[in-house]
Amino acid sequence: MIIGTAKESYPADEALLTTAPQRVWMTIFVIALIAAPFVLSNYWLYLACLAMINVISATGLNVLTGYTGQVSLGQAAFMAVGAYTVAYLERSLGTPFLLNILAGGVIAAAIGLVVGLPSLRVKGLYLAIATIAASFILHFVFVNWTAVTNGNSGATLAPATVFGIELATYDRLYWLIMPFAVLLVWGAANLFRTRIGRAFIAIRDRDISAEVLGIPLLRYKLMSFAIASFYAGIAGGLWAYLFRVVTPESFPFLTSIFLLAAIIVGGMGTILGGILGAVFMTLTPELLRVVVDLASVFVPDAATLLSPVRTIVFGALIVGFLILEPRGLTEIVDRIRRFFRLWPFRT
Amino acid sequence: MNITRRAGMAALAGATALTMVGAPLAAQDDSIVVGGSLPLTGVFAFAGIAIEKGMSDYFEIANEEGGIDGRQIEFVYEDTGYEVNQSVAVFNQLTSQNDIDMYYGDSTGFAKTIAPELQRRGDMIMGGASFASELNDPEEFPYIFIPGPDYIQQVGILLEYIADENPGASIALVNSDTEFGRDPIETTKERASELGLEVVEEIITPPGAADVSTEVLRLRRSRPDYIIFHGYVLSPIPEFVSQIRELGLDTQFMGTFWSMDSSLWQSVGEAADGFLGVMPYRYYYDEEEAPMLDRIREMRPEYQATGYMQGFFSAMLMTEAARRAVANGAELNGDTLKSALSSIEEFDTGGIIGVPVSVKGNAVPFGRVYEFNAESGQMEPVSDWIELED
Repeated sequence: MIIGTAKESYPADEALLTTAPQRVWMTIFVIALIAAPFVLSNYWLYLACLAMINVISATGLNVLTGYTGQVSLGQAAFMAVGAYTVAYLERSLGTPFLLNILAGGVIAAAIGLVVGLPSLRVKGLYLAIATIAASFILHFVFVNWTAVTNGNSGATLAPATVFGIELATYDRLYWLIMPFAVLLVWGAANLFRTRIGRAFIAIRDRDISAEVLGIPLLRYKLMSFAIASFYAGIAGGLWAYLFRVVTPESFPFLTSIFLLAAIIVGGMGTILGGILGAVFMTLTPELLRVVVDLASVFVPDAATLLSPVRTIVFGALIVGFLILEPRGLTEIVDRIRRFFRLWPFRT
Repeated sequence: MNITRRAGMAALAGATALTMVGAPLAAQDDSIVVGGSLPLTGVFAFAGIAIEKGMSDYFEIANEEGGIDGRQIEFVYEDTGYEVNQSVAVFNQLTSQNDIDMYYGDSTGFAKTIAPELQRRGDMIMGGASFASELNDPEEFPYIFIPGPDYIQQVGILLEYIADENPGASIALVNSDTEFGRDPIETTKERASELGLEVVEEIITPPGAADVSTEVLRLRRSRPDYIIFHGYVLSPIPEFVSQIRELGLDTQFMGTFWSMDSSLWQSVGEAADGFLGVMPYRYYYDEEEAPMLDRIREMRPEYQATGYMQGFFSAMLMTEAARRAVANGAELNGDTLKSALSSIEEFDTGGIIGVPVSVKGNAVPFGRVYEFNAESGQMEPVSDWIELED
């Protein structure tokens, strides 16, 4: 049991990690992140890369939907903007990959600002529909602006290179994607220790009150859209380097729903929720695949027979979590944390 | 409640740990391993399930006959849901657990995504469900093959048939607005004018479009002799067909491989009668002499869809490539397998394809035009086997 966490200054009170166990766990986690490429197989490294890209995008959406309360179903389209920007820059200008990825984020943010404009007039489901419309318009642009996007057949790009080393394998791409994921998640966590983050939360809780408190809704809602789109753009840019081909079908509308589901399952309005949700949604279908593999010892043709079951189980798990843990996976972590903090007095 | 939750968490953690360590399903030492990213669920599941059966059946036959120089063929595959993300995941999973020599991929998107990785690894060749003409380029895609004619060649076979039956005929092209749909358009127009056929209308429909009445009006104005549909499995072809028939137009309707399964058309009924299309393989029920078809009918007494034939023939090409590479005394890798595959000429498929076939470029450009007979519910051949030159 931790007896009191005395805080002697405001910075200590605002710190991201307030207790010793938290710091220990974070250290272990960081070591695990660094050790991962040396331990995991190619398959798990690929999934790690994919999960981290989803974490970045889901965290961005969490800033917008979870913290600012603006429902968006356009996150996948912004990822596509980032991916196409990277593909275009890499193919036609051959600029360095870091610049490309940042440009992807910036351009996605700029488009996010425009898409965010309706949020000043409409809320909730109406805003969701407006963002859906935006994502269909963007899809049309991807298909038809062939000079930049190469139309339906899509853009293939060369791997990112650092000092002549090609980042073509997952153990190398990991070192590109992991730092981005860590930095962006860290940035998001810090955002909510600032005036801007608090303004977002105020807008979510009651936008009229927020305005009365002196928060300019126009500026902050658009800022939230821009940040969410920036995250999506970066995620899309990393995605482009992971898959090295971007087509209009790479980021279907379903991806937006996937990301929204991720933050709902993980826990809206918490940084940990975005991470847990994205990892859960990315890895669970693969873990279920392993279950199918284990069953194949007993059932011949298990892959054919049980694959549809896998999809159903995945859906049922999501529904189950929503019913049993309406506040998301992050609540489970909180409960575990509380258990150890109060142990042995109350469990 | 807490206890069950805790137990649940522990079980989940245990399961995760177990899978992360992962006991690789070690293959037999000298067996030849074929991997597959197969769409057993999702929109393409109808084909994926059939393909899996076809491939497994052929490998079973090959193994019964002693495998490849005594080495057994092992087929490992996983479901992808027809999503590129998952197809890549499956590829990575299977390649990290097995020493794979040949691979079956489920989509054009996957083939293009994984092509650089295939080149980097250089240890396998890959076929698949994609007939995208872009892949039929041995320079750019050295380790990929197409188990049949690519889409340009499929439409090319239809054009040859039209030019033969009805010289100077007018044609309309109806394609879906997808990579799959737009694939053959440009080349088709060139080829048509070479053959003296006139393309009078081009229509691109959004994917999933159900209301086709405006498109039908355009077709009514241009009155084509033939309409070639490409980029669809079934819908919205039946809507086009029935609306145009109602207008009393005397037009022939045509499709490409993935829309040629007769069980699909049986559900459409009378309107489907006379639908023409190109088919690279024989149908399950074809009556012409074909020992391999007899064998299939013996193994599977019920009708097998076109995907089955595609999978069966893919497996056949893979096996033959491996057999030739082994016979050359070469070590199995991308280069030796591909050059063995490219050396296939005048190859007897046991009747899966009606004539001896050859691999040209990355494809096998042979096909035949079939016509749907609504009464019997079967596709009936209306042309000889057509081999595309050049």
